[in-house]
Amino acid sequence: MSGASPPAAATLAPRALRHRRSARRLTVGQRTAFREAITAAQALSDDRGYQRWAGVHGLPLPIECVHGGELFLPWHRAYLYFFEKSLQDRVPGVTLPWWDWTNHAEGIPGPYAKSRAEGKKNPLFDSPIQPAARTGSRLTRTVREPGAPERLPSAQEVERVLANRDFMTFQTEVEDLHDGVHGWVGGSMGEIARSAYDPVFWAHHCMIDRLWYLWQLRHPAVGVPASLLNRALAPFPMTVRDTLDITQLGYDYAASTAAVKGPNA
Amino acid sequence: MRDHFTTRNALELPPADRPFTRADLIFYGIDHSGPSFEALVFMDVRGVGKGADAEHKAYVGSFHIFGHGGCFGDVGHCDVKPKEDPFDLRPAHQLEPRLRIVTVTEPLRELLGRGIEAAKITVIGRSVGKAPNDVLAFDTVRLATYA
Repeated sequence: MSGASPPAAATLAPRALRHRRSARRLTVGQRTAFREAITAAQALSDDRGYQRWAGVHGLPLPIECVHGGELFLPWHRAYLYFFEKSLQDRVPGVTLPWWDWTNHAEGIPGPYAKSRAEGKKNPLFDSPIQPAARTGSRLTRTVREPGAPERLPSAQEVERVLANRDFMTFQTEVEDLHDGVHGWVGGSMGEIARSAYDPVFWAHHCMIDRLWYLWQLRHPAVGVPASLLNRALAPFPMTVRDTLDITQLGYDYAASTAAVKGPNA
Repeated sequence: MRDHFTTRNALELPPADRPFTRADLIFYGIDHSGPSFEALVFMDVRGVGKGADAEHKAYVGSFHIFGHGGCFGDVGHCDVKPKEDPFDLRPAHQLEPRLRIVTVTEPLRELLGRGIEAAKITVIGRSVGKAPNDVLAFDTVRLATYA
């Protein structure tokens, strides 16, 4: 390849971290780009598409997700990573938003709450459920039956969970919060088998992943037990060790971000 | 499965003069094959009704289970078999029972302050949506305190 021109900067893999943002604080442009990515993924019927990724978690069999075990947090971090990458293939630069359900001012976050947005159908409101995932159900699309917002976990409950100094206890307790939010949304989100078809699933799990990240920052000397580090996270080509540093996965959770060009720009 | 359960025996509480910074009720062997549910936990209560909620004076906390919602395979698909082969490196069965922790530090202090030495545990299961409430099944509940 000597003598070949270097690729244009726009085609290079991103060198900067992507920021996952609060769903409530997305700019209009970020919201639009994310909706475009979900819409484009829904339009694909092959293994790059939304239905394939939703199906990894639940139906069709095998149900691959890991709950109630030692790998709950690492497995879902890998899952979000690969799904987010598939969205970035559709719309470069998009990231998964997180749903801060400790803010009880609203229940389902605004961008996901209404059936129409920006003058068209809102792809974050619901999703088709592929025929192979309808076992035991007649629903062709996801549904929700949310509870009262004040029944969502509070900031105080999250603080108590983050105070745990042991990873396994933290993981068990954060999974309990996670389970409660699945139940709070209800409908498709209340079933392991079909929950990942609901677009708000990804925002909920992004929040769980963010809480793990916050816990890691708060307890830098405490890690995942060594016996887990080389465990594989099937079906993803990753081990637990690969999931520990999110900056190596190319993303961060930012409360706010701003950038200016440096002298070499 | 049931929607309401009180332990037959009372759980022995630690001596009142033994200090602790945290107390946990740890539930082992929780079944999660059915619908998602919340389990409301009560300590030292007699005759708590099925309708009791978090406002009840004996309420100490709750745990949540994200349920599988049934079996989607053929006969035997959801049978959890004990793992006996040490060379079987396949992941655990999806329906391996779960563990949940309910932290009861302040409620335990309050019980000890009233001179109570043992307490029965009552658990009420509440499923999500229109699913039936008979969701409750677990093996053991243990009280652990930490200095």
